[in-house]
This record gives sequence, C-alpha cells and structure tokens, in this order.
Amino acid sequence: MRTKIRIIYLVTLILALCTTSCTKDFKELSVNPNAVDHPLPQALLAQAIADIVGTNMNRSQRLQNELMQVTVNMGDGDGKIFRYDVRKAESDYLYRNWYLELTNLNDVYKGGIETASPTYQAIALICRSWVFSLLTDTYGDVPFTKANQGKDGLFTPKFDKQQDIYAGIFAQLEEANTLLKTGANVASSSDPVFAGNAAKWRKFGNSLYLRLLLRVSAKTELNTPAKITEMIDTSPSNYPVMASNDDSAILRWTGVSPYVSPFATWRPADWYTPKLASFFVDNLNEWSDPRIGRWATLSEGEYAGIPSGYQPGQAPPSKSTLLTSLQTEALLGNIMNYSELQFILAEAAAKGWTTKPGKTYYEAGATNAITLWNLTVPAGYLGFQQVKWDDTYTLDQKMELIHKQKYYALFFTDLEQWFEYRRTGHPVLPTGPGFFNGGKMPARLSYPTYVQTSNTASYNAAVAAQGADDINTKVWWQK
Amino acid sequence: MIKHMYHKFLLHLSKLCLCLLAAMFVLTANAQVRDNDQLTFNNNVTIASIIDRLQSVYKYKVSYDADLNTTKVIHLPSTRLRLDELIRQIEQQAAVNVKNMGGNLIIKQLDMVSVNGIVYSGDDNLPLMGVTISSNKKVLGVSNMGGKFSVRISSGANVSFSMIGFELQTTAFAKNTKDAKIVMNVVSNALNEVVVTALGIKREEKALGYAVTKVKGEQLTDALSNNWTDALSGKVAGLNLIRSNGGPSGSNKIILRGESNLTGENDALIVVDGVVINHGSGRRTDTGNGAYLDSESPVDFGSGLNDINPEDIQDITVLKGPSAAALYGQRGANGAVIITTKSGRIKKGIGVTVNSNTAFEQISRWPDYQNEYGQGVDGDNYYSFGATADGASTRSTSSAWGPKFDGQSYFQYDPVTHTGGTTRTPWVAYPNARKDFFETGKTYTNSVTLDGGTDKTSVRFSATNVKNTWILPNTGYGRNTVALSANQKVTDKLQINAKVSYTNKASDNLPSTGYNNQSLMYWNMFWVPNGDVNWLKDYWLPGKENINQSYPFSSFPDNPYLISYEMLNKSTRNDVLGNIQATYNFTKEFSIMVRTALTSSYDQRSQQRPYDTEKFRKGMFRTQSINTQEINNDFLLRYAKQVSKDWSASVSAGGSMLVNTYNRADLRADSLLYPGVYTLANKAGVLVAYPYQSKYKINSFYGIATVGYKDYLFMDVTGRNDWNGVLASATSTSNVSFFYPSVNLSAIISEIVKLPSFISYAKLRGSYASVGSGGQDPYLTSYNYVASATFPGGLYNPTLVANPDLRSLRTTSAEIGADVRFFGSRLGLDVALYKSNTKSQILRNALDPATGYNEAVINAGDVQNRGIEITANGTPIKGKSFNWSINYTFSANSNKVISLTNDLPLTLQSGPGGRGQVVAQVGNSMGALFGRGYERAPDGQIVYENGYPQLTDSVKYIGNTIPLWKMSMGHQFRYKQFSMSFLVDAQYGAVGYSLTAAVLAEQGKTTNTLPGRYNGIIGNGVIMNTDGTYRPNDVVAQDISTYYNAHYGRDNVEGATYSTDFIKLREARLDYSLSPKMLSKLGLQRVTLGIYGRDLLTVTKWPGFDPEFGTLTTNAQGTPTIARGFELGQFPSTRTFGVNLTVGF
Repeated sequence: MRTKIRIIYLVTLILALCTTSCTKDFKELSVNPNAVDHPLPQALLAQAIADIVGTNMNRSQRLQNELMQVTVNMGDGDGKIFRYDVRKAESDYLYRNWYLELTNLNDVYKGGIETASPTYQAIALICRSWVFSLLTDTYGDVPFTKANQGKDGLFTPKFDKQQDIYAGIFAQLEEANTLLKTGANVASSSDPVFAGNAAKWRKFGNSLYLRLLLRVSAKTELNTPAKITEMIDTSPSNYPVMASNDDSAILRWTGVSPYVSPFATWRPADWYTPKLASFFVDNLNEWSDPRIGRWATLSEGEYAGIPSGYQPGQAPPSKSTLLTSLQTEALLGNIMNYSELQFILAEAAAKGWTTKPGKTYYEAGATNAITLWNLTVPAGYLGFQQVKWDDTYTLDQKMELIHKQKYYALFFTDLEQWFEYRRTGHPVLPTGPGFFNGGKMPARLSYPTYVQTSNTASYNAAVAAQGADDINTKVWWQK
Repeated sequence: MIKHMYHKFLLHLSKLCLCLLAAMFVLTANAQVRDNDQLTFNNNVTIASIIDRLQSVYKYKVSYDADLNTTKVIHLPSTRLRLDELIRQIEQQAAVNVKNMGGNLIIKQLDMVSVNGIVYSGDDNLPLMGVTISSNKKVLGVSNMGGKFSVRISSGANVSFSMIGFELQTTAFAKNTKDAKIVMNVVSNALNEVVVTALGIKREEKALGYAVTKVKGEQLTDALSNNWTDALSGKVAGLNLIRSNGGPSGSNKIILRGESNLTGENDALIVVDGVVINHGSGRRTDTGNGAYLDSESPVDFGSGLNDINPEDIQDITVLKGPSAAALYGQRGANGAVIITTKSGRIKKGIGVTVNSNTAFEQISRWPDYQNEYGQGVDGDNYYSFGATADGASTRSTSSAWGPKFDGQSYFQYDPVTHTGGTTRTPWVAYPNARKDFFETGKTYTNSVTLDGGTDKTSVRFSATNVKNTWILPNTGYGRNTVALSANQKVTDKLQINAKVSYTNKASDNLPSTGYNNQSLMYWNMFWVPNGDVNWLKDYWLPGKENINQSYPFSSFPDNPYLISYEMLNKSTRNDVLGNIQATYNFTKEFSIMVRTALTSSYDQRSQQRPYDTEKFRKGMFRTQSINTQEINNDFLLRYAKQVSKDWSASVSAGGSMLVNTYNRADLRADSLLYPGVYTLANKAGVLVAYPYQSKYKINSFYGIATVGYKDYLFMDVTGRNDWNGVLASATSTSNVSFFYPSVNLSAIISEIVKLPSFISYAKLRGSYASVGSGGQDPYLTSYNYVASATFPGGLYNPTLVANPDLRSLRTTSAEIGADVRFFGSRLGLDVALYKSNTKSQILRNALDPATGYNEAVINAGDVQNRGIEITANGTPIKGKSFNWSINYTFSANSNKVISLTNDLPLTLQSGPGGRGQVVAQVGNSMGALFGRGYERAPDGQIVYENGYPQLTDSVKYIGNTIPLWKMSMGHQFRYKQFSMSFLVDAQYGAVGYSLTAAVLAEQGKTTNTLPGRYNGIIGNGVIMNTDGTYRPNDVVAQDISTYYNAHYGRDNVEGATYSTDFIKLREARLDYSLSPKMLSKLGLQRVTLGIYGRDLLTVTKWPGFDPEFGTLTTNAQGTPTIARGFELGQFPSTRTFGVNLTVGF
C-alpha cells in the first residue's frame, strides 16, 4: 500500500514538473547566437557589391573571355566554350549568385527607407538596375516584379518580359537620380566603390542609364534615343554623368582583406591554362598599345596569341597567356568606367542622337582607357591608321572603330563585351573552322535546369513567350 | 494531435491484447496435462503424521531408518501440494533423502550441511535472481531478489547453480557455509541471452519482439584496427559501415538497415554505458571543404567514437530497428549501438591483466599502372626537360602519353641542380616510384587492467596507450585512455555505480584527404612513370628554404614531401565520458534509478601551409578550438511483479533532460608575413574569425510496460513524449512536443507446443514502432542575417528560408522475425523481415534562386526501407579437444523514395566538378547515381563519331551506389590450446564513381590506355549513317588521349563508374593459450599469444584501391558528411598484420 502511495506521489510530481518546465527556455534558446535578425544598410552593402563584382569577374574569365576571343581554353573535349559549346551547367552560377545578392540589395533599399537615407535607397536602386540588366541580358525574360520574395513564401515567381524589365529598370534609375539630388554622403566603409560619395553614385547611375538606354535603342517600344538626347543635349545638368576616370565605378581590389581579388587565391597554373587568342593580342600589337604589357606574357620574346576556333585535333602551339599579376590587379574590379561612357556617347553621336561630335567622345574613350591603367598614350596613337577617327566613315566603320576600342575598355567587365557584340555585331570576330553551334555566337544562356523543376509553371510560361530555352533564342532587344 | 494519436494507440493496444489473450487460451487448452495429483496436508505437521497420511489416504508404502526423528515438524508452503514438492520439503527440512521407487517411498537419514550465500552475475556483478540451485538432479531452491539463497545438502555433494543465459556453476560443499559467493558467467551462445536494451534495461532475449545482435568485446580486439568500429564488419547482419578512408583516425559512419533520412543524418545512435555520444564527443571534427579541388581539403580528426578504447568494451548490443530503440526517442530512429564497458569482478585479491598488441599495416592493392610510356602529351615523340637541343620543353605535363621506354636517352631532370640535366640520361621507368613514397604503418597498443571486488564493492581500472605511425610519412597519432568503473552497494537497498573514462588523443599531423593540392593522392595520380620519387626528397629549392618548393614537372601538384613535412594538420583532443548512477530499491518489486551522464570533448586543432603551396602562395595558419558537451539527467522508476504463477508484469517510467552545447572558434591567417612561422600573430592580412555556437535542450518522458505469460508469451508496450527545443521559435513552442508508441510481442513456440525433438528452441516475434524526430540542427525556425567573417560589421541574408512552423519527422516501422535452434542448439537460425517509412522529413528544398534564396526548410518526403536479415550459426564439431563453429550473416535492403516535395528530384550528393549526382527520385533508391554516359544505339552499342565515343548531353541513370546485399561467414576452430578463426565478407550490387581511375586513365597512367598508342584504335561500337541507321564503327581514332579520355575520363560518368562488389578476407587469427597446468606452475591466470591479420585479401574488379570507400566531403545540403557514390582520391587500402600478447596475473 505504501508503495502505491509513493508511486502516486512520484507520478503527480513528475506531471506537475512536466507541465511547467518541459518547454522552459525553449523560446530564448531558439534565438540564434551567431546571427542578428535585423540589418542596417551599411552592414549589407559592401559585401553585396564585392560579391557581385567577384561573381562577374569569375564568369568574365570563364565565359566572356572565351566567347569573345580574349582567351582560348585549349582542348578538344566537350563543353569548350571558345567553340560556342556552352553546356546547360554554365547557366547556374550567374543566375544563382545575382539573385542571391539582389536579396541583400533589397534590404539595403528597405534599410535606406527605415533610416531615412535617400542615398542608400538610391545606391540600392542603381545596383539592382545593374544586376537586373545583367540577368535579363544574359537570360532574356526573368523574374523581376515577383523576384526575391521567398522570405514571404513566394516560391514560384513569374517571369517578366524583358521589355517590362527594362521599363522597370529605367524607372528605378530615374528614381535614384532624383533621390541623389538631395542625398548626403554615407559611411565610406560601407561602399568600396565610391567611399560613400553620393555625387559619384549619381554620375554612375546616369552613366549606367545611358548604357542601358543604348542597349535597347534599336527597339521602338521604349523610344530610348529620345531619352538619350534629353540626357545629353536637353538637360545634362539634370543628369550628371562620369566626367573623368576618377568617376569610374571600379571596385579597386586593395589586396587587404576583405578586398582581395577573387583571382588571388587561384593556382597560377589554373590562371594561365587558357591561352591568349590572336584577335585579342593582334589588335594591341598593331596599335602598339601599352596595355599589352600589363596583360600578356611574352612568348619567345613577343606577344602572340593563337586562333580561336581551331579544328579539333589541330591545336596550334600555345603562345602568350594572361599575366599572373592580373590575379591581384585592382582594376579587374571594373563595373563601368569613364571610357565606356565615352564610347556610348560616341555611338549616340554617330547615330545622330546628339549634336555633339562623335570624334571627341571616341578619342576621350580611347585615351582614357589607357591612362586608366596608369600608362602613357603612345605619341600619335590617335593618328594610327587602325585607331584614327574619320567623320567620313560609314556608320558601320565608325561602329567597328568604337567597338574595337570599347572591347578593350570592357576587359574583365562582367559579360559586357558579349552583350555589345550580340547587339551590334562589333567588333567583327574572326571565325574558326572548329566552332560548334553552326558557327553562331550564342544569343543567351539557357535557364538553369533546376528552374525547370522548382518553378515549373513560370518556366513553361516564359519559354512559351520567349521561345525555346536554348542558347540560340534571341532576347527581345536582339530581335 | 497527440490526443488523437493516443486514442489510436489505445485502440491498437486493445486489439493486440485481445489477440494475445486469444492465443494464450488456445495454447493453454492444447498443453499436456501432467500428473498433478494434489495431496492435502496441514501447514505444520510432523514427519510421523505425514508418513501416516501418505500410507492411509494416498496408499503409498513408506519405509524409513529406525533412527529417523519422526517428531520433526515440517513447515509446508501450502496445504495442497504434489508428491515431489512434499518430498523436497521433507528432504530440505529434515536432512533426509527420500526415494520414490514406483510408489514405495524410502526415507534415509543424511549427513547434511547448510549453505547460504549470494549469486552474482559475472558481467556486471549484480545479484542474480531466479538462479536454480540443485544437487543430484534435484532442485533445492531458487535465488531471491537479492540473489540470496539458502539450501541444505548432504555433506560433500555437488551443488549446481543454473540459469538460462549463464554457464552452469558447480561447487561442492563439505561443511556448513555462510556467505558463499557464486559468480555466474554469461554464456554467449546460450539459448537465452540477457541483452541490454534501450535505456540500459536488461532483458532476456526471449522476451524481445525485435532483432538484437550482441558482439562481445573480444570480437572487437581480435584483429585490432585503427578504428575499432571496423571490427563490426561482417558480424552484424544489417550493419553497414561507410568509411571516410581519412587516414589513421578516419571515421566510420554506422548505418543500420539502410538510409532513410534524405539529409544524410542516418547514423545509428551510439550509447556508451547509457551516455549518448553522437552529438557530444561523438561529433566528427573534420575540417576543410569539398573533397574535389576546393579551397582547402578535408581532414578527418576522428570523433569520440573512435577514441573509445576497445579494450574496455565488455560487449555491444546492436538494436537495429526503431522498434528496438523507440525508447531512446527521436535519436533512436536509426537504430542504436549500445556499448557496455567492463566493470570490476568479484574475486580474491586484485586481478591484473596486461595486453600488448603490435600491428603492421601495408598497402594491399594498387591500380594497374603502365610502365611502357613516359611523360608527354599526345603526339610527343621525344622528351626534353626544358628547351634543349632536342626541341621545345615537354616537361610541364603530368600525362604519360609521351615516348616509349625504348632504351633511348633524353635531356631529363637533374635532382642535384633541381633543373634540367646537361647531358642525356637513359629514358627509363621507375615502376615503384608511386609506391616507395609510402611506409609501413605501425600501431602499438599496450594496456594494463586492474580489477577486483567484494560483494559490496567492485572496481576496475584500465590504462591504454596507443602509438601509431601511418603509411604516409610523418603522419600518425598517439592516444592515452584511462578508465575507471566503480560499483558500491551502500546498503541492501542502495547501489551506486560510476564510470568515467578520459582520453587524450594527439597528432602532429593527420593527412588531408580528397583530390586537391594538400592531398597526397593528388600528387600520386599526377606523378609520371619516368620520375624517381627520390628526386623529390629535397623539397625546397636550394637557398630558397621555406620560400620556394622544388617540383620538376607540371605546376598543378605540390611536392609530396612538402605536403608530409610542412603542410601539417595537428590536433589535440580531450574526451571525458562518464556517468554516475544510483539505484534505490524501495521494495523487492519497486526501485528507482537516477543518473547523470556527461560527454564532453575539447579539441584544439591547427592547419599550417608553407609559402609557395599552390593553394596558399603566401602560406597559411588556422586554428580551431571546438568544445562539445552534452549532459543528460534521467531517472527511471521500475515496478516488477509476479502477479500470479503464470503472469508477470512490470512497468517502468522515466524522464530525461538533455542539454547540448557546441562552441567553435575558428581563426584564420590565410597569408603569412614571414615564411615558416606558424602563429596567428604572423598574419599578413586581417585575422579572420568564424565563431559558431549552438545550444539546445530536449526533455522527455517515457514508459514501458511488459507482460509475460508462463515464460513463453511476452508483450512490451512503450510510449515516449519528447519536447524538442530545436523546433521552438522565438514566438512559439507549439510544435516542440510529440508522442510516439511502440509495441512488440514474442512467443516461445517451443515452450507452447511440442515440436519435433530436433528443434530445441523456436521463437516468433513481431513489433511495430513509430518514432518522431525533431532533428538536432537548431535555428532553422527563424530568419536571421549571417555575420560576415571578412567584412567588419558586415551581414548578409541567409540563402536558406527558415520555417517557423517546422514539425518533427516520423519513422514508422514494422518487423517480424523468428529464432529457431536445432539439434541441441548446435545449429541456429535467426531471420528478420522489416519495413520502415520515414515521412515528413526536415528537408532543405531547392528553390528557384529568383526567389532570392537557394533553399527553404520544409517538412516533406517519404523514404521506405524493406529488408531481410539472416543470422545463422552452427557447431559442426564439438568435442573435448576439437571444436569447430561457423557464423553466417546475410542482409538485403531495398530502399525506395516514395514521395518528395511536389515529387521533384532532390540531389543528395554531387560528383567532382558537378559530374554525376546521387539523386533521390520518386520510385528510385536513395543511392541512384545519374550522370552523362555513352550515347548508345537502340541495340545498346556505343555510338562513335570520327572514331571517338559520344556522350549523352543529358544525364542518365548509371547505377545504384547502395549494395543490394551483404554477406559474411566466420569460422572458429579450437584444438587443445590452439584456436584459429577467420571471417570472410562480401558485398554485391552497387557501383561507384572512381576519380582515381578516371584521372589515371586521362593521363595515360594505367594499362587500359595502352592499346592503340601511335597506331590508332577502332573502338567497339557503331557509327551512325546519314540515313539514321547504324553500321559497325570503322573509323580509326588517331588522338589516343582524346579516345581514352572519352571512354574513362572524368566527364564520362558511366565510363568512370565501376562495380564495388567484393569478397574480403576480413579477419584471421591464430591463438595459443598456455594450459592451466603450465599456468599454475608459473603462477599466472592466463597467457594468450595471438597473431592476426585484417583485410588480408580483397577480390574485386574495382580499379582503384578499395571498393569499400566513403568520401569526406560536403553533401548537396551543405552538410559535411562521409558520402558514398563518389571516390575522390582515396588513400591506398591496407592490410594489417599483428601480434597480440595477453597475460593475466
């Protein structure tokens, strides 16, 4: 009997303990001690920009350099990008990293509102415009209005038409320009590009605006030439743009953590595995361009490249490669430089969208591209036959002239060389007998395969609207 | 929800009870009714009146000695009793012998002595209840709850103590004896073993409704390996080891009955003396990233599981299914491995045992290297180290498509000047260069054990020292373990036990694994046939010590001696594992146990890399301090009662509180100011810190009720409720609580019905369990910004969307089985069939990154495992001097993914550089390997184009990486003082991707790349005609490296995937023990000398080293794991030879 009473006591005690203490502390302990639940914009911005630039550099090396005959990653196996053999697996990296960083940029924008900082809002808008333009120029139609809302449970965002994305980007860049009119400088440590200088961000925003207006200028729907004219001729004071190399948007890798170039940790052997292509080397040789000394190794005493797209099994002996010093080069963190803007303006002038002379822009672009690298423009450079601007040239001749120079100004700049080639066909690249894909330059990257499985309905709708999901389907502004 | 489940559970329970009762009724009615004539007497009666009543009422004839004291009063236990019981009472109380000769009773006076004492169990020194005491085939009594007994016997008679599961003890007593201590030794091959089940509750095996396997401590130390868990191979049906192959302290992942958790958390629960170690000291402390060319290679520093001293293990019980481990709660869903360590024994004086073990490890297999062609890319018809008179340099490749070794001479490397030689030297192969780099591994294990005890106290102390040098130069470890076990019976009612072990394990260098610059096997694949390994021994360039390494060829790999002597991975680990437990018996039937258990580990590690290593040009130094601790406090109330003669019942109820903490501080200087100085202060840049800490609690209540009928029908019902803090969020605890039940039944058929005489024992069992689990990854329920390691004050968004509504997953399982023994247990067969489903798993579901995230945490998925396990043992020859016994196991498991989120495939493991994936796909096994493979014609032939095999653009199914079945057979022979044993095991039906084979073939290093060199080759297959039909391939492939690259290279997942079937001679051992005669002359207790071998022979088609591989890497869910499917630069497989000497004083 006593035993039974003891048991009853114990069980009662246990049940009493249980109801009060079984979940004690649980709520407190569920708070992650390694993280915080609310960010300030200055905590997010620097790493977001650095990661985007790092992402862009990585694929500039892997995709753009190969497609645009900067380098040739020799070999006869499959998946050789220089042969236009672009496998679906190449699509993942950029799509993923760009969208992940957009999540951080959105929080910078939100933080800008919360902390009443129009500058952070504007910087976020400019960066978002930049990243969304990269996304849509690479893939075509992509999620835009419904993107980056996974936190709120939106797991299957619909894809927006490229035209609508561009319209949205332009609206954001307008907004940024307006916000920055009054925006104060922000913490320099939060901004590795302009050290928090609001005026420089405004110039970059508008320069980027011009880049993108030009990109879709062949389409009548958005009538961008008129906007270009407005920005350059009608109300330039309302749209300040980059005025010198100092205004260039470049994340200059200092080598001091965290600003270490993503290439710095590469094995040198991996870095110089792709060999320089003759297209890239020959122009610089012909122009006696001093940049070659900063970019290429000597091969048997001279700078020499190999033809891209050679016949499989007939590999030429390799010559020059990229210098390993580029692995730590500050200037590879280029987002958009002053020269590029000058070439944009030169093209606008050549197409008659501004009354200002194209020659001035072109020559400013060509010389500043060299001085950016702290090099001296060779005497008579602008008079060399291959460099010289002639107002009597046809538009096509002028375009080739501008874009050959622009090609070098866009060295290691995300995929801009490729975008511009797809838009204009310039600079004219030599063709090789060993190209796959019918010798056709890929028009886009296909969507990553997991989009097909994780966002099926939206993907199907996008493919139905845009065309087959392969590398030869033209995006809207190419059509 | 819980209420609903509870009702359902009750319903199931009542159904089961009804079935059980019905079964009992039928069986009882069929049972044989024996002669049970009941005689009636008064309780206290004289012998004279008994004799009188026997003669007058029951018609027995009684004769007796004249001097018999007939006035002696006999106290009868009952007024009604059978004749044999009556006789026993008279004999015991009157010190007489009664014989029944066909109705004639003869009573004889005897010279009797009285003996009393206590019977103890040999394995744990606890008093043993229910031991039958008999003499001259007559049962004299049974020991009580405290193990006490008191009998009277005729002077000098043998008294036998017997109990199922223990060896028979026979002792003669000549005079009155008080406080005799009888120690019963456990029999391993007994009809009815006592096994340790969940929560450490000891049960008779016959009462269990699920399969258990017991492995004795000796079986673990017979053929000692660096990781004692290797010894479980082939001894437990349904147990799979996935080995990290990570060097001398390589970890093993123990998987029971197939994998079910898509996250990869499928390890069995490891319990040491009631202490769960998995998430405490048992956490693997590896470092690095993926195994394939990641920034830093993984290093396996081992875990607390490796550090358990096998010499201290008494035995291991393997509870394979969730039914068995349901009481362990959520962490038991993958089965449990319960380790019981040794305790002190009751004996006179102190027992001293010294054990010394020496083992040598040698590489057992090599890839099939070719030694006919030297370094060069395809088409090189000469060799030149640097540009020479012979032509341009051909030295900077690792490929071996170069010129044939034909007696010619070339300008080659000069190891003295570390540059090109000035004269031509003979062009020859160095076939042993890759092999000579390795050494013979040596392991010395020495241990001393002291133990002793009285009936009140017993203590065991052991100290073990292990010293290992591994097969790679300058690698190895040392380990010291001290363990103490003490049992104290404070009073008759209170007993206190304590066990504690402390381990210090230190290594000056453990090897980096995988395919990467810091890994030796990367170099090993890249070394060329025309290179001598001795050229590399001066690993710095002259005058450039600590600044520039010397490596003559391709600059991809690093100098292997630089890796071994300069790229060090150090570790010092201290583990403490212990528990203190007190048991108080309120009454014979009612007791309480309270226990506190701790497992804690502190690991200090560092990695250093010198200047000029390919991945860290300016050197590197990193340190990690890892502190892991888990404390578990629990109690268990037990109430057991023999309700009636036929019915017994027990109820146990308990609760536990678990607190797990983990702290890790990782500091990194990824470039150094001064070369060769490895301190954090010597950082060249910013010191980067990666701190991480976590803490969670799990509280539980649980109970088990058991019912037994007539010792042949048994039923257990368990229930447990967990409150898992991992599922709490900052605002809610609504999902933290979950309940789950189990029920199991056992029937000893051989006791119920009469079976043919050749069947000595037959048992049927069945069980059902449902186990919930909330996982052990905290912080998945709330959205948090991650602190940036490198950006001061920086934060970034997580790539994983948290789920504030996260729920527990659930595993349900059902099992039936039979245990049948024949011919007096000379042959035994145990079969188990099971099925389990793990549903509502906690998964990281891949999202379209356009959502802004990579993954979301969700509850989804259902994975099913079905399988069969067979264990058989037999004793073909059983003699006085010669004994031969055989053990056999077979297990087959079929794994199937039943559902996934929206039924979308989930990548579990990705191959090197994204080549190939192990994918969970509805309808397939979790081990399904997909990748690009041969383009094949409709009839299955390989399609060629321009002479080269074509690969598919999309991925296809390549094979299953999980074996269909495993089998093992062990033989033990004993002849006089010699004993010999060996164990063979085999695996069938799985494939694996071999990076070793792929890279060697790409580089022309293996013999399968010899045919067709320089003449071209026509591949076996078809070629497509312009009209879409096929004709046999008729195009000569000229570019031989492209040809073999397409066949066997990395990109061709099909071509680089090979069968992992194998047969291994796993263990062999020969022992000689000194005879008792010899021993007594020497004054020793025991001397045994043994020689043994491990992994002596492997029969397999696997082209690399060992078909049984696992790879230390990061899985697709981002968690570090030991993955199967992809071999990414495995270390050579080894065979071990050892000598073992045991001396007991």
